[in-house]
Amino acid sequence: MSFRSGVATFAGKSSYWFLHTFLHGGSSLPGKITLKLDPNILRTLGAKYDVIVITGTNGKTLTTALTVSVLHEKYPTILTNPTGSNMEQGIVTTFLNAKNPKTGRPLAVLEVDEANVIKVTQYIEPKAFVFTNIFRDQMDRYGEIYTTYQKILDGVALAPNATIIANGDSPIFHSKELPNPIQYYGFDNEPDSDFKAKPNTDGVLCPNCEHILHYHSLTYSNQGKYFCPNCGFSRPELTYRLTKLGEQTPTSSKFEIDGHPFKIQVGGTYNIYNALAAYAVGRFMGVEPEQISDAFNANQQVFGRQEVINVDGKRVTIILVKNPVGLDQVLHMIDTDTHPFSLVGLLNANYADGIDTSWIWDGDFEQLTDRDIPAVITGGERYKDITFRLKVAGIPDDKHIVEPDLEKVVDRIQAVPTERVYVLATYTAMLQLRKILATKGYIKEGLGV
Amino acid sequence: MTYDLNVAHLYGDLMNTYGDVGNILALNYYAKQMDVHLNVKVVSLEEDFKAADYDLAFFGGGQDFEQTIVSQDIQTKKAELTKFIESDGPLLAICGGFQLLGHYYIGADGEKLPGIGALDHYTLAQDHNRFIGNIVIKNQETGETYHGFENHQGRTFLGDGERPLGNVISGKGNNGEDGTEGAIYKNVYCSYFHGPILTRNGDIAKHLLVAALQRKYPDADFSQQKALPIPATF
Repeated sequence: MSFRSGVATFAGKSSYWFLHTFLHGGSSLPGKITLKLDPNILRTLGAKYDVIVITGTNGKTLTTALTVSVLHEKYPTILTNPTGSNMEQGIVTTFLNAKNPKTGRPLAVLEVDEANVIKVTQYIEPKAFVFTNIFRDQMDRYGEIYTTYQKILDGVALAPNATIIANGDSPIFHSKELPNPIQYYGFDNEPDSDFKAKPNTDGVLCPNCEHILHYHSLTYSNQGKYFCPNCGFSRPELTYRLTKLGEQTPTSSKFEIDGHPFKIQVGGTYNIYNALAAYAVGRFMGVEPEQISDAFNANQQVFGRQEVINVDGKRVTIILVKNPVGLDQVLHMIDTDTHPFSLVGLLNANYADGIDTSWIWDGDFEQLTDRDIPAVITGGERYKDITFRLKVAGIPDDKHIVEPDLEKVVDRIQAVPTERVYVLATYTAMLQLRKILATKGYIKEGLGV
Repeated sequence: MTYDLNVAHLYGDLMNTYGDVGNILALNYYAKQMDVHLNVKVVSLEEDFKAADYDLAFFGGGQDFEQTIVSQDIQTKKAELTKFIESDGPLLAICGGFQLLGHYYIGADGEKLPGIGALDHYTLAQDHNRFIGNIVIKNQETGETYHGFENHQGRTFLGDGERPLGNVISGKGNNGEDGTEGAIYKNVYCSYFHGPILTRNGDIAKHLLVAALQRKYPDADFSQQKALPIPATF
């Protein structure tokens, strides 16, 4: 370690200790201080590790957490970054915070923001990259799906020997020739048929000849066993296959990968993709399927984004929604509930939520109208937008409560006729609601998010 | 439902960014209240558009790459689309759809890409900047105020025979210079508004539906449809 890196590391570590001890915080400031003193610090800090970079627009956090627990079955020391610390400063802080490894070459499993992949690969050549998916997400920040993928590839170009483990069901990950070794995972559980994705699906042009892609089978959005009837471009051969999809509920999913049975304690097809990615990394790193199953079973706390809160006997599940594909998947997931439930939609449009609320129209709320939901509450700073969205979806006025004030939303939740309540909220609306629930004593402040 | 309208959703599988499908949902919502059933069909690459088959059309915005592909394919539909527009067919075009009805636009890489020139505007690019944010405009003829969210790199300049959808009260509008937003030509409404536009501005949905009804059923009495109240949604 050079003198400069040494000073920078010491400054960063000290500030972490100070912030952590006295202010109960410190996820990116120590990294910021260290980077100021030595912009090349990651080269020094990362040199000791085998690094796995997990990136993509959706599912990074859960895939990272699951991958860490899978790899723990074989590797005792794994460094990882906490949720939300997926940009350069947060990653530097993660390394600063690590205890010096005593023996061997430890692993670092890092969730990395798409545009920050290059900030890592400038200094570290990872052992593997994991590409989860690329969906439209807060487009006022990064632009379109092709731009986002290019940002990832700009980073990958600096690490041509790293193995890419990619979602094979996503056509964009098969669109560019890359020098890297590539392994694909995907769903292979249905007989072939021939159809197109629904009209408001992104990314359905063949990357080869620019005709509309068809599908033999499709999980959601533009993901599936795609093929181009014009030029023959098709999904690549899969290395890791989801061979059977079993029972799905809002809180659990059963499935088989390569013929091995698994169960995860969380609902949603998107979470099965996350588990499939973690399985793929596990197998790539030599973890046995039985060990992976143990890791999935033991791992209930990583699914933190679907938190269940008891509000005077109401079983309230709060789910973060931030983009159309995620929203669609959440709607599909809660629809697997066999019990009646009430629905709450809370919409804000601050920077962290995405300042354009148009995306709520790409969510298929219409799929819930057959359920005859007994009570729907809409609120938040942009309650007018979400209210009209649900009105158009067919929620009748006599079952629809409009309540902009989140404080009163909590009172309304206490009065709904069902025991189960699903709250779909954008990021800042979720923070505001949690604060109110904490003040009222239903949760402890500061947990979860 | 007493009335039927055939709606062409032009390139609905490619020009579908920013919740554009919400415009179809909103059209349906107001159509039902007007005793109208909509048959919506996506008309995409290598598919025929025949002016006589449709009573109403919607053309949304898309990502740069998709718009490039559509710019080529739409040339095969140019004659029939122009015929539809010139025969007073009601059409709503948003963002990329707006640009492609005009003479040309400058793409993300600086290349000049053709529209169909059915309307007399053209679109230039701006360097490393987009117009992003909430926007409010006022239609001088009807006095209606429209709310939306704009997010575009293109700067569009209207030609002769077009009038703006509205004048900018706050936001950037067509080009950030002349205070115009969108375009109206015959029964064609163009705009950069997302939101989507018809979900926040039901009056425009009503204008489109009434125009389509009067064109298809010239002898029917639509006074009730015209009187449909549109409560504010934004």
